[in-house]
Amino acid sequence: MDTSSRFRRQPRSVGIVAALALSCTLAGCGLTIPADPDGTLDAVTGGELRIGTSPDRDLVDVRDGVPSGSIVELVDDYADSIHAEPDWTVASEETLVTMLEDGELDLIAGGITAETPWLERAGVSRGYTGIDGADGREIVMLVPLGENAFLSSLEAFLDEEVGS
Amino acid sequence: MSHTGQFGRITLPPEQQRAIRRAVKWEVFTIVYTSITIAVIALVVGNSQAMRTAWIEDMLSLIPQIAFLTALIFVRRRPTLEHPYGLHRAMGVGHLVAGVALLAVGLNLAFESAAGLIAGEHPTIGTVVLWGHTIWLGWLMVIVMAVVIIGPVFFYGPAKSKLAPVLHNKLLYADADMAKADWQTTVASIIGVLGVGAGVWWLDGAAAVFISLGIIWDGVRNTKAAVVDLMDERARTYDSKSAHPLAADIVAYLCDRPWASDAAVRMRDQGQVFHIEAFVVPRRRKVTVHELTETAEGVTALDWKVQDVVIVPVERLPDEADTGR
Repeated sequence: MDTSSRFRRQPRSVGIVAALALSCTLAGCGLTIPADPDGTLDAVTGGELRIGTSPDRDLVDVRDGVPSGSIVELVDDYADSIHAEPDWTVASEETLVTMLEDGELDLIAGGITAETPWLERAGVSRGYTGIDGADGREIVMLVPLGENAFLSSLEAFLDEEVGS
Repeated sequence: MSHTGQFGRITLPPEQQRAIRRAVKWEVFTIVYTSITIAVIALVVGNSQAMRTAWIEDMLSLIPQIAFLTALIFVRRRPTLEHPYGLHRAMGVGHLVAGVALLAVGLNLAFESAAGLIAGEHPTIGTVVLWGHTIWLGWLMVIVMAVVIIGPVFFYGPAKSKLAPVLHNKLLYADADMAKADWQTTVASIIGVLGVGAGVWWLDGAAAVFISLGIIWDGVRNTKAAVVDLMDERARTYDSKSAHPLAADIVAYLCDRPWASDAAVRMRDQGQVFHIEAFVVPRRRKVTVHELTETAEGVTALDWKVQDVVIVPVERLPDEADTGR
């Protein structure tokens, strides 16, 4: 008698456990959505943000290997917002994309537009036309493929600063 | 088109006329609904392979409806000297086209998704700005997929599967069957996107492979059903599950004729209607033309699907003919 009633109750308890597990997953038992498979946002927050850039007519000016310009200021501000120390690398775009793939860079920012051919090898942010010196171009930034929490954090910052 | 009940050689009975009008309405509704779905998913498809696969599946799901409506124009025509059996095969041709398209695209998508999975491609899904808020695009994907599933699973899928047996239409049946199974695609794509959200990048590719396998399976099933019909397989029920009971009914009717001692039929499905060759062994090897004509009319009156019937008096029944036993 007792055993049979316990048996009947079992499916309900399974349901409750499943519901708890689901709500726990959604409400975040240490889990945020979206998350980074390789943990980029976690690694750079309060640490070092490695950024790559190439010289660009109005956006990036390089003197003695030190980049400056509106986009550099913008990314430095983003680094600030997540308490990260920016570390800039200046190289050609292909070299930068390879470094991004190899995990030697976290972000590429410069005169890259929404028509970028690097779609297959890098995660591409939404385009922003409101950056000083963009001159009507829709500027995008590149992140490591699939690092969605990092990308979302960057896009949220850019929406605040230069979003239309 | 739907104001006349003309259907090849015959006029459809009122029940089938009503069913065909409703089928046309549902097919048109499906095309409109699916077109809207395709347009809405296009806005959120992003870089998710699962979403892309589900999106292409939606486009493919238009083919059976277009095939049905196109075939319907042809199957209604009367037989002519050029097309002495009428144009009923148009339904089978449409079915075959739909099957092969599903199979080809399904294989392509499965290959693409598996290659992405093996190469370890991490799907990148960013954010969108909606009413001034930056939100993750994945949430929109999940919402869109959960909303668009309502049509096929709750409305047009069940409606069409009720009409298919009335019309004995295999294309309509296959179409309804695929619509009802659409929830699997939706669940898979939602799991894929949520997986990406949780940082489990491979769930997206795995969901895409699962969806493509479903498309391949639909393709194989439909191609097979269409091919065996076009190859003049013995007529089967609308779901291809068993031999059509009408063959046995016709044989029983024939054996009941006073002039007949034994009978058998060869019955093939021309798409929605049957072409029947009935072999009858007459008693004392005698039968009059009047008896033959009367019997042919009697067989035709048995069911609206009996479109073409030829009565052949024979000395002995052919081995391959169906004796209904």
